Amino acid sequence: MQNGMVLESQSVSKRFGNFTAVDQVSYQLFEGEAAGIIGPNGAGKSTFFNLLTGLYPPSEGRISLFSRDVTSLRADQRVMLGVVRTFQLVSVFDTLSVLDNLVLSVVRFHPVAGKKARFILGSAHPAAIVAECMAALERVGISHLAKETTAKLSYGDKRKLEIAMGLALKPKVLLLDEPLAGLSDGEITEVLDLVREVHKEMTLVIIEHKISRIVDLVTRLSVMHEGRLIADGVPGEVLQDPTVRQVYWGAESSRVFSGLAAEEKAEV
Amino acid sequence: MQSSLFDTLKKFDLLIIAAIFLLFIPLLTMQRTTDFMIFCVFVLAFDLIYGYMGRLSFGHMLYLGVGAYAAALSAEHLSGNPFLALLVAVVAGGAVGLLLGPIIVRTTGACFALINLAFNQVGFFLALIALAEWTGGEDGMAAFYDSVWIFDFGDPKVIFGFTLLCLIAVVYFVRRLTDSPFGILLRTIKENETRAKFLGYNTFFYKLLAFVLSTSLAALAGALTMLNYTYATPSFIDPTRNVEVIFACLIGGAGNVYGALAGGIGYMVISNYLPNYIQRWEMFLGIALLVVVFRFQAGIWGYCRALITARKGEVKA
Repeated sequence: MQNGMVLESQSVSKRFGNFTAVDQVSYQLFEGEAAGIIGPNGAGKSTFFNLLTGLYPPSEGRISLFSRDVTSLRADQRVMLGVVRTFQLVSVFDTLSVLDNLVLSVVRFHPVAGKKARFILGSAHPAAIVAECMAALERVGISHLAKETTAKLSYGDKRKLEIAMGLALKPKVLLLDEPLAGLSDGEITEVLDLVREVHKEMTLVIIEHKISRIVDLVTRLSVMHEGRLIADGVPGEVLQDPTVRQVYWGAESSRVFSGLAAEEKAEV
Repeated sequence: MQSSLFDTLKKFDLLIIAAIFLLFIPLLTMQRTTDFMIFCVFVLAFDLIYGYMGRLSFGHMLYLGVGAYAAALSAEHLSGNPFLALLVAVVAGGAVGLLLGPIIVRTTGACFALINLAFNQVGFFLALIALAEWTGGEDGMAAFYDSVWIFDFGDPKVIFGFTLLCLIAVVYFVRRLTDSPFGILLRTIKENETRAKFLGYNTFFYKLLAFVLSTSLAALAGALTMLNYTYATPSFIDPTRNVEVIFACLIGGAGNVYGALAGGIGYMVISNYLPNYIQRWEMFLGIALLVVVFRFQAGIWGYCRALITARKGEVKA
């Protein structure tokens, strides 16, 4: 990869009391990549995401974005620099209408509506903003639900809405935390198609539990285990790595692995 | 047809609100009706924080009291100009909000409620004892205002008219605030503040802004009370009276301008008439609250809105 570095963590750790959730992780993300992070439950993937996006500060280490140290920046400041994320448990605003869920994202970088005075006292629904919100919903295929209360949406539609909220912020890097979890097979295909489409415009990081779902999508694969980054590289090579097989599929690896992989492939 | 009727009514809501209060005059005294409207301003200020932003304050009387005392002190030490008193009060309310806000808005839930109460207790003590030299302590302090142009606030009609104008202005202002993207942001902070941060918003700043606006409006209500009664007593800053505004908000339906007004009027009507029949009328207020909590969780306005929506649905079908 000759592209510039987008996001970097240098020996980042996070401890909660005596428990080390993320342990000395150094990770680099380059422009245009679609990076996958996999690992068993409790491997520290989500905690690592939280550190990258600024939900809480690391216990040690530093994080930089476009070669700028952002370790001490708040989450909202990192969003303004182009890092946008979704959450493992889909996170949208149930009490608002679907359209209103998008207003804040659309307005954030809007040259006119984003101005403070307009933001505080202007209407939330001028035609230009509504049109942009509708376009954002159109892109993920749920524009027909714009007027619904978000609480009524299916989990899959909420996930699409959440991705639309992220995309409307025009991110440079999009971090998706298990975007496929809890979706039906049909929805998984739809979301994967969307993610593929989105990757043409921005750098992606995807956390996923099932490797087979994203193996065709990602250009790079990293494996986390017990808070550590145990492998990082081209998907094909990483999956052949003996350590990875050991932790991810258990001791009696290789035969089981090929079988599992085939099985998972069939599922997708 | 029904739905268009409601939409038309909504267009003229400010006029309708004014008409409702004018209708109260023959039922009550003019000064009492003015009280109703002032209380509604206070409920609107409270609802901005509670109904929209989802933070329950047990100490909003502090900001009302600051407004009342600031207006009184302005008359005593600066000038008798009532508009200066109003300005001083609103600025004082905002200043107190700005001073305490950075501590208060960091908290949520019970902590937010109680930290407000704690500051309210401090304010009550200051007004009652520590600063009694200026505030007159338990006796309170009187203040007299000059008449400026047509505004002779000694005349109940003038104070009524002026308060009505203020209320309409506050309703308009709060509606603009809450219909804006800022209003949406407040509701997202209520539902999931972390998520709002990840949409690129410095939620601390906006919470502080909402808080300061709320304390300023509460102080405006305090200053209007001062104009209406021309004296301030520690009861204006008494933390035990916080219950009133919380009740009003719950009865009317939190998180809605009309709900706040319905609650303000509802509470005042109950507190105005019930004592004529029963000495310990607060018990019935308690019962009313129980009914609200169990039967009409969205308050009077929430119930009305559900009816309207149901009607609309019927018409369409």
